[in-house]
Amino acid sequence: MDMFDIYLAIPLAPLVGALIAGLLGKAIGRAGAHWVTIIGVALSTVLSFVVYNHHVLEGADAFNGNVYTWAVSDGIAFQVGFLVDQLTATMMVVVTFVSLMVHIYTIGYMHDDPGYQRFFSYISLFTFAMLMLVMANNFLQLFFGWEAVGLVSYLLIGFWYERDSAIYANMKAFLVNRAGDFGFLLGIAAVLMYFGTLDYAEVFARAPELVGTTMEVIPGAEWSLFSVICILLFIGAMGKSAQWPLHVWLPDSMEGPTPISALIHAATMVTAGIFMVSRMSPLFELSETALSFVLIIGAITAFFMGLLGLVQNDIKRVVAYSTLSQLGYMAVGLGASAYAASMFHLGTHAFFKALLFLGAGAVIIAMHHEQDMRRMGGLRKYMPITYVTSLIGSLALIGFPGFSGFFSKDGIIEAVHHSELWGADIAYLAVLSGVFITALYSFRMFFMTFHGEERMDEHTREHLHEAPWVVTVPLILLAIPSVIIGWLWAEPMLFGDYFGEAIFVAPEHDTLARLGEGYHGLVAFMLHGIMAPPFWLAALGVFTAWFLYMKRTDLPAKIVARVRPLHTILVEKYGHDRFNDWFFGGGTRGLGGLLWRVGDLALIDGLVVNGSAKVVAWFSGIFRRIQTGYLYTYAFAMIIGLLLLLQFAVGGS
Amino acid sequence: MSQLVIFFVFAAIMVFAGVMVITVRNAVHSALFLVLAFFSSAAIWLLMEAEFLAIVLVLVYVGAVMVLFLFVVMMLDVNTARLKEGFIRYLPVGLLVAVLIAFQLIMVVGGERFGLEDYPKPVPKAADYSNTEALGAVLYTEYLFAFEVAAVILLVAIVAAISLTMRRRNTVKTQKPEMQVAVRREDRIRIVSMASEPRNGREDGS
Amino acid sequence: MTDFVAITPELFLLTMACVVLIVDAFLPEAYRAVTYQLALMTLVITGGLTVALYPAEPQVVFHGAAVVDGMGSVLKAFIAGIAFFAFTYSKDYLRERNVFKGEYYVLGLFAVLGMMIMVSAHSLLTIYLGLELLSLCLYAMVAMHRDSADASEAAMKYFVLGALASGMLLYGISMIYGGTGTVDLGEIAAVVASGDIVDDTVLVFGLVFLVVGLAFKLGAVPFHMWLPDVYHGAPTAVTLFIGSAPKMAAFAMVMRVLVDGLEGLQADWQAMLVILSILSMAVGNVIAIAQTNLKRMFAYSTIAHVGFLILGVLSGTEAGYAASMFYAIVYAIMSLGGFGMIVLLSRGGFEADRLEDFKGLNERSPWFAFIMMVFLFSMAGVPPFVGFWAKWSVLREVVAADMVWLAVVAVVFSIIGAFYYLRVVKLMYFDKPEDASPITAGGDLQAAVSINGLAVLGLGLFPGALLTLCVAALAAS
Repeated sequence: MDMFDIYLAIPLAPLVGALIAGLLGKAIGRAGAHWVTIIGVALSTVLSFVVYNHHVLEGADAFNGNVYTWAVSDGIAFQVGFLVDQLTATMMVVVTFVSLMVHIYTIGYMHDDPGYQRFFSYISLFTFAMLMLVMANNFLQLFFGWEAVGLVSYLLIGFWYERDSAIYANMKAFLVNRAGDFGFLLGIAAVLMYFGTLDYAEVFARAPELVGTTMEVIPGAEWSLFSVICILLFIGAMGKSAQWPLHVWLPDSMEGPTPISALIHAATMVTAGIFMVSRMSPLFELSETALSFVLIIGAITAFFMGLLGLVQNDIKRVVAYSTLSQLGYMAVGLGASAYAASMFHLGTHAFFKALLFLGAGAVIIAMHHEQDMRRMGGLRKYMPITYVTSLIGSLALIGFPGFSGFFSKDGIIEAVHHSELWGADIAYLAVLSGVFITALYSFRMFFMTFHGEERMDEHTREHLHEAPWVVTVPLILLAIPSVIIGWLWAEPMLFGDYFGEAIFVAPEHDTLARLGEGYHGLVAFMLHGIMAPPFWLAALGVFTAWFLYMKRTDLPAKIVARVRPLHTILVEKYGHDRFNDWFFGGGTRGLGGLLWRVGDLALIDGLVVNGSAKVVAWFSGIFRRIQTGYLYTYAFAMIIGLLLLLQFAVGGS
Repeated sequence: MSQLVIFFVFAAIMVFAGVMVITVRNAVHSALFLVLAFFSSAAIWLLMEAEFLAIVLVLVYVGAVMVLFLFVVMMLDVNTARLKEGFIRYLPVGLLVAVLIAFQLIMVVGGERFGLEDYPKPVPKAADYSNTEALGAVLYTEYLFAFEVAAVILLVAIVAAISLTMRRRNTVKTQKPEMQVAVRREDRIRIVSMASEPRNGREDGS
Repeated sequence: MTDFVAITPELFLLTMACVVLIVDAFLPEAYRAVTYQLALMTLVITGGLTVALYPAEPQVVFHGAAVVDGMGSVLKAFIAGIAFFAFTYSKDYLRERNVFKGEYYVLGLFAVLGMMIMVSAHSLLTIYLGLELLSLCLYAMVAMHRDSADASEAAMKYFVLGALASGMLLYGISMIYGGTGTVDLGEIAAVVASGDIVDDTVLVFGLVFLVVGLAFKLGAVPFHMWLPDVYHGAPTAVTLFIGSAPKMAAFAMVMRVLVDGLEGLQADWQAMLVILSILSMAVGNVIAIAQTNLKRMFAYSTIAHVGFLILGVLSGTEAGYAASMFYAIVYAIMSLGGFGMIVLLSRGGFEADRLEDFKGLNERSPWFAFIMMVFLFSMAGVPPFVGFWAKWSVLREVVAADMVWLAVVAVVFSIIGAFYYLRVVKLMYFDKPEDASPITAGGDLQAAVSINGLAVLGLGLFPGALLTLCVAALAAS
């Protein structure tokens, strides 16, 4: 088979599965739906590995080709095309593999759900959209994938649409992402305006020519073109990758079924922003302002969102805030021009975070959909497999030497350390202290769930048992890469030429190269890691967690009592939601109310608020009156029309 | 000169008849006025040396169509008074529009644009010139296509009329000899094979 | 003899229509399906002949009565194809209402013949005759369901107003004849172009009447009044026929009269068409919102689409005409599908033409909910469905003709219009069905509607071929 056919088959296989499961769901039944989608995704997983082998291991040249020209308008081609290189291939492997695990896991998790077929259709569709996004060779397709994953995520978060909270959460995700997309769209529009093309290769090739260009967005203020474009594009990434302050939707999106939390939050959708910035590295490298912006936003997200994880009691929310924090790390890496490190962390994080999510899901199933950690504890002996795999995931997350998270996170931290950009010092402090926080909340969750006294009620305890094999197999399969992937990837990704031409780093920003100067093999790197502050911070975090939640369980309550205001701030999530509800929600309502009053009092009967509806109704009323149903009215209307046309055309002469 | 007088006389009659068609209350009178209008226009055609058309107009429209029309009107006994209820109410508006359109027509279709300098007076044809022959000469040659299409339209008219009016009435009982003749044995009797009944009944009785 | 060869499709169709008529008269009730199959076969062969005889260059035949050219051939082939689908959709519907009679197919075939004559007309006389042939068949088809008072009333209105419009058209034709001395469109164009006519008032005067006649046939405001009543009143099987193929014929008529014949008066008709177009888009889209009956809603949506269709013609360029032609074909396909869905959901004695009947369709049949969504999105002009490309291509030509304001107006109205299409989508996907019975329509009907929907989707993903075809067809005429 030709490589091109393989590229084409990879996104299409899940699409076909999604269509069959979605449209013919009733006909093929529940088993049919999961088989058809799993076969589709499995096929694209296998093929993704073929592609990975071809591009990364065999080092084939990047493929850049158009599949189909949709339309050409005024010289601008709207195309569907693939750009497959090392970056894309890595993402494809991650996306399809995690998606396959989630598909299998879903069989167990959604076992009793009436929307079974619909769910499989959605997640397969999501895989398709994500692959289209990743494989795009132009901005239009990128945007299509971007919006498509947003749409499916909206549908999935609100999957249980009978729940008000689910509807609220999906509305929130939708609206917040629209805010980000607005920036993204403006960024693409700016690219189109200045480059006259949407093709990546052409844009990147022409980028150096336009370095000095400035644009005047607000009269009088000249801004560098690339700063504007990159910041706008990154605003899109902030929405999708849940960076502060557009992160608010992600914790609420836990309303969706757990496989979705894993699929959307761990491996795929949230990393779209990180991937996009890496893909756009030739543009971001041209603007230090934009890089600093990314760095600062990432640092804020990494530090402050981690703190929130400390006070959550819902097991899935802890993982969600941890995801936010890790995304912040990745953004920091991008800002420090360590794109490779960020992509590396993205890859490792995809595996261990999916593992943690699915582990949390397994616990939730065992606990009969109880998500509050205060009612868990001591699950270790009931669920040994889940216990071990969760431990692996947690160790990977906190960056325990040897586990995958260690290499990728250390790479980012060290890269920031070497960065000379404005704001890099603060970012370094933020990510460094973040390590302690990460360890603390991860093991707080771990201890509260699996160790200590059993706080659940009698009835639940009696029914506790290990999850079925469709749940544990994905856990084990995800645990393996969580351990070993760091060993495989660390050297080529961080210090080698893994990404080749796919990622462009300007020499003056190349923090990883500087890091590489002191690199003497993986084992040395690891030994060095054990001496370095991050390891000790992590160890301290684990110890603190053990001390507070195992040894002196009375202490946390006392600490909370001492620092009540701080705790309140954290529980209130810094007031973001309140602020948004008050400012945006309340503001629009207030504005609406104001307009309603003014409109009602000053103008005729609510012309402003209900204006359009009224006008339409009014018109409709008039025309309905004309549409009497009487023949002579119709004939008369025709005659009048004739008369007026005659007057119009001949009247003058 | 005499032609002009004749033209104006017949034109006046035609306009008068046309107005009467839509104003008189009685449908039969209305139809009769239509006949008058046809006659007058036939006369004007004669004046224009279109003898064939004039004669056909009288034969077809007056002779056939209008007779049929009268026939229908008399048979249906239409209540014309009710139909004209709205007439007076809408008359002013209708009149205004009619006047406006007439004004526009006159503005354009006047001697100013259709005068003799634009349209030279046609030369009268010789006495032995046959209108009918001239029509016949082009009908099957130059206008063959249009002629055939017109024929198809007539066919469709027949089909449409029949399909809209013909109705097999199930309520009326009539003999259908062809069905009686064509009847077969299988249509009338049915041979049912069934298991033989035990003879208990008869034994009890006897 | 070559003249006859050129019109072989029409001759074949005429012959077969007569054959079907006679065969049907002698067939017992039980074998009515033979009529239906014969009619379908006729359409297939007619379409095939049209394609086979695709002319390299325009060929004027029968002393200027007809012309065989690219635009005509493409439209004729599509008319035959669309009629094929319309017939397929109608079968079950008619049978369930006891009007499964040969007349529907005979009249339908004659109507197709009328359209083909209109499409390939090269003289005002032929246009008029083709139009009358088509209209007569349609009047009768609307009235065919004699037990329905709505249908009879609709037929009556259609007939009387159609006669009025025909009268106006005829008056316009006579004015043009008076001004130019000919009814041959080529000669008219030559006379107008030669500049011999010092005062073109008479021509413009005639033109107004012609435009009124055309506008009536298209259903442009204010000559649209018949359309909602007829679409609503007629049996759905007839509505889907009226609402699809004749729109292409009407487009062809506009092209023949205004472009082939009177292109010299472009400045005059362009202004009139601008008015008609804006009014149609405004009235159609706004009133459609207030409708609760789907057939009526589609009727008003037709009016709005006509406004869009006119946009391409009024831009006055070859590319604009091609865009309009594309629009006409696309609209016919979408409209056919929309009405086809109503037929699909209808059963004997039950007409699924209220908006409520589409509630929760997704639960009853996800596949057909999807197909209906494709139609609605396409009509609303949502990419990637073909309706988007239709709107896009006419708008692009309007902008190219330096009428940006008109394009803006059109976009605004199409956004208003999107509302009522999306409302139906919402009903299908988010509401509970009122009646949860499964869909019982026959397999052929289900397959045909599915193909129709996939065509809309496929053309949307690959619009290039059809667009190119339209451009090439117009270049060859």
